[in-house]
Amino acid sequence: MTDFSVVGKRRPRLDTIPRALGEAKFSADLGLPGMVYGKVLRSPYPHARILNIDTSQAERLPGVKAIITSKDVMPYKWGVFAYTRDQQLLPLDKTRYLGEEVAAVAAVDEDTAAEAAALIRVEWEPLPYVIDPLAALEEGAPLVHEDKPGNVSVRIFVDEGDVDNAMADAYLVDEGEFTSPEENYCMLEPYAVVANYESTGVDIWCPNAGPHMKARPISNALGIPTSMVRVRKVHIGGHHGGRSEVSPADFMAALLSKKARRPVKLVYTREENMNCVRQVHGARTWVRAGVTKEGKLVGLDFKLIMDGGAYASTGPIAASVAYQMIEETYAMPNLRYEAIRAYTNKPPRGMYPHHPRTTYGGLEMVLDALAEKLGMDPMELRLRNSVYEGYVTPTKTVISSCGQIETIQRAAEKAGWKEKYGKLPPGRGIGMSSSACLIGFPMGIRGGSGAFVRFNEDGDATVISGVVDNGQGNDAMIAAIAAEELGLPIEAIKVVTADTSMTPSDQGAYSQASTILSGGAVKAAAADAKRQLFDVAADLLEANKEDLVARDGKIFIKGSPEKSVSLAKAARTALGRDKAILGRGDRWPKGDHKREWVSNPRGQLASAFSYGTAIAEVEVDMETGRVKLLNMTAAHDCGYPINPLSVEQQMHRSALEAGPAGVMLERHAWTAAGQNINANFTDYWFPLATDVPNIETIIVTTNDKFGPFGAKEGGLSISIAMIGAVANAIRNAIGTTVHDFPMTPDVVLRAIEARNESESGSTTHE
Amino acid sequence: MEQVLIKLTVNGREEDVRVSPHKTLLEVLRDDLSLTGAKNGCEDGSCGTCTVLLDGAAVRSCLLLAMEAQGHEIVTIEGLSDGQNMSPLQEIFVNQGAVQCGFCSPGMILTAKALLDSASSPTETEIREAISGNLCRCTGYTKIVEAVMAASGQPVPVRTHPYEGDVSERAAS
Ligand code: FES
Ligand code: FES
Repeated sequence: MTDFSVVGKRRPRLDTIPRALGEAKFSADLGLPGMVYGKVLRSPYPHARILNIDTSQAERLPGVKAIITSKDVMPYKWGVFAYTRDQQLLPLDKTRYLGEEVAAVAAVDEDTAAEAAALIRVEWEPLPYVIDPLAALEEGAPLVHEDKPGNVSVRIFVDEGDVDNAMADAYLVDEGEFTSPEENYCMLEPYAVVANYESTGVDIWCPNAGPHMKARPISNALGIPTSMVRVRKVHIGGHHGGRSEVSPADFMAALLSKKARRPVKLVYTREENMNCVRQVHGARTWVRAGVTKEGKLVGLDFKLIMDGGAYASTGPIAASVAYQMIEETYAMPNLRYEAIRAYTNKPPRGMYPHHPRTTYGGLEMVLDALAEKLGMDPMELRLRNSVYEGYVTPTKTVISSCGQIETIQRAAEKAGWKEKYGKLPPGRGIGMSSSACLIGFPMGIRGGSGAFVRFNEDGDATVISGVVDNGQGNDAMIAAIAAEELGLPIEAIKVVTADTSMTPSDQGAYSQASTILSGGAVKAAAADAKRQLFDVAADLLEANKEDLVARDGKIFIKGSPEKSVSLAKAARTALGRDKAILGRGDRWPKGDHKREWVSNPRGQLASAFSYGTAIAEVEVDMETGRVKLLNMTAAHDCGYPINPLSVEQQMHRSALEAGPAGVMLERHAWTAAGQNINANFTDYWFPLATDVPNIETIIVTTNDKFGPFGAKEGGLSISIAMIGAVANAIRNAIGTTVHDFPMTPDVVLRAIEARNESESGSTTHE
Repeated sequence: MEQVLIKLTVNGREEDVRVSPHKTLLEVLRDDLSLTGAKNGCEDGSCGTCTVLLDGAAVRSCLLLAMEAQGHEIVTIEGLSDGQNMSPLQEIFVNQGAVQCGFCSPGMILTAKALLDSASSPTETEIREAISGNLCRCTGYTKIVEAVMAASGQPVPVRTHPYEGDVSERAAS
């Protein structure tokens, strides 16, 4: 039996102490000698050609140090994939959404920079534009990119088995169409960059989901070697999927600094952060599901239109993940999925844990409708269709460890499902949903993580890793893994992370890979360092190094802790023998490198899969349509909890973002002229403490073979599951399916009225 | 613009600052006094990350002109501790897991402090109402509510259900 001393133990996150003290420095908190301040001039049109930019008046304003326009940039286009390079970090010829960057100014203070930006004269030729994704896909629609006919940004098509036959043979088939406007990431920290460009290179501090993933495109856009771009460690106020890519702000700040020959700070306003970084796709999903008499799924059929906004961003991934998560959740032999991501003249859209809510939530509501028609408990339907260890999905991914059934059972037990489902008073409802989450997919040459461990004279260790901490606790996670592997208390571990000049490459906080890849690399590096220490300790203890273990700062022969040597002594002894203890390790995702999102969606997709089940209870006011969320319960198979407290934290984050935010409140709204009218926290309904009930969490363990100490990821499967749970709870309370997200009172009331009408309609027919 | 000399009392110290009259307290704290613990999450009064204490009450420093804060006792997050040791309230926030990315934390902790200074054992509803002007995207609020309950000596309800100990045996079998 393994007996861990650090991992698996609930403990406060040491990385949060500077944040509680208020001393943690976020990008906007930084200052450098001689620093000047940036402001961006943005497009007032959703689609317009830039005919001329005249900066002469702005340049004459006292205090202005630099102005950049398209004249200062090379024709480099950013794209996540070679085939999606479509975004100029400062557009050369035309702007594609209202708010897109046109020029930027650096001046002695923000007010002067803003004044100067307002003095820049742009000659525009407004172009026809398209805001609605369905209209964008129609023939003759204005083209967002001239070289993208039909405004198709990405098309994903998967057709495994024989869906039409399966549906024809099914005992029951049900379907539904669901819609959703855009959501916002709402990370609390508005985007901010400090850049300092000198002859030796440029230092950049900015929120990011992977410093190494930023350095490369920034260097490409600036036309300098990647080694000259140093993206540096800084505190980050949330990622949530919206810090995945290079931002025009990074590039603009660097270029302004180069031109001004001074450090530049560029801080986005809340409105800019909501509108001009990334948003979450709006979507429309049609879903059809067929089951046997016993409730076994025989096939799933999806058609999606996603509103991708002006640029491709992570489009191929964003348009694919929903079917992947679903085929890793429910076993069924036949799957058809078509997603079209359309270009529109709106801000570009990126990844988000539970998007599209129409696909995850829509499917779950269709499944509940089927369960009802079969006279089956929805929980039973999910138990019968759960995937399992060793299951192969229609697109040929093998599921490794899988605790889904246990998450269903334990969530149900905790939430009192059996006592409540079908037995609640009118207006009350309970809903359930499960989901998988894929972890660590191959991302080519930048898809792995490396780590070093070095020993200090006093026996403390420093871990050097490219992992980034966006607030989710990755720094604490690697410290715990190193402490456990080395046999040191966690206080004896220092971490150096997320600095492209100092830390080895890391895949970034994408596809929940930080624990298994970055954590796995750290574990390997710590094991390497430990082997080196054991060489010395074996001598000191006159023992075989194979028999040694390290724990609580000591090395001893397994089973006899009485006779030991401290790690500090072993490290110092090594130094005395002219040997430095330096451990190294790396970890790469396990997946089929030939699998490709668009061209070849077949093969092993990811390294591991986490599982989650969510249950929610609601009360609906049938007169007003107002929904009160009474409680949320989540059970999560995280593999093994490196720190149970952190896993709970992530489950809580997921529950908030999916339930109150994703199902009930959040949406962006637009004028016909392409203006986002609620890019602020007053008009965009971010859940407040009074909107969110207490969240109950249950951790399920499965000890994954690939993950460090059996760990997989913390909490993301709950994001997806909670969408279906809350949507189904509302469905259960009002006795009909709601087809539009978010389920605000007006939307719920319409559904109730439609149900009443159809009921009275059917009575008159009888 | 014409600058004026104002006197502010911040974290128990008298500070003389020369400011433009239109500068908010948040700007002066961050830019002139280097107290960057107060955050600028929206600048329009809707997020609470800029919260400071003004004579013990939680206020949004982005909505207050620095000049208006003269003659009042201002406490920022930096004023709660000596910079090395957390105050008991900060420690409880950390221990309960009520801090994640930490961007909301300075404002949240100060709002909690104002509440705890005026109510000795606030109910869950009172806590949720008190912090409802402080947005947090990371915590789902549950652990913040629990931290405030713990800080006022109230029992924290068990909402988390631990995994079943060590399961390596099961994995090995
Ligand atoms: S910055 Fe003051 S309330 Fe948001
Ligand atoms: S901890 Fe990140 S916003 Fe509250």
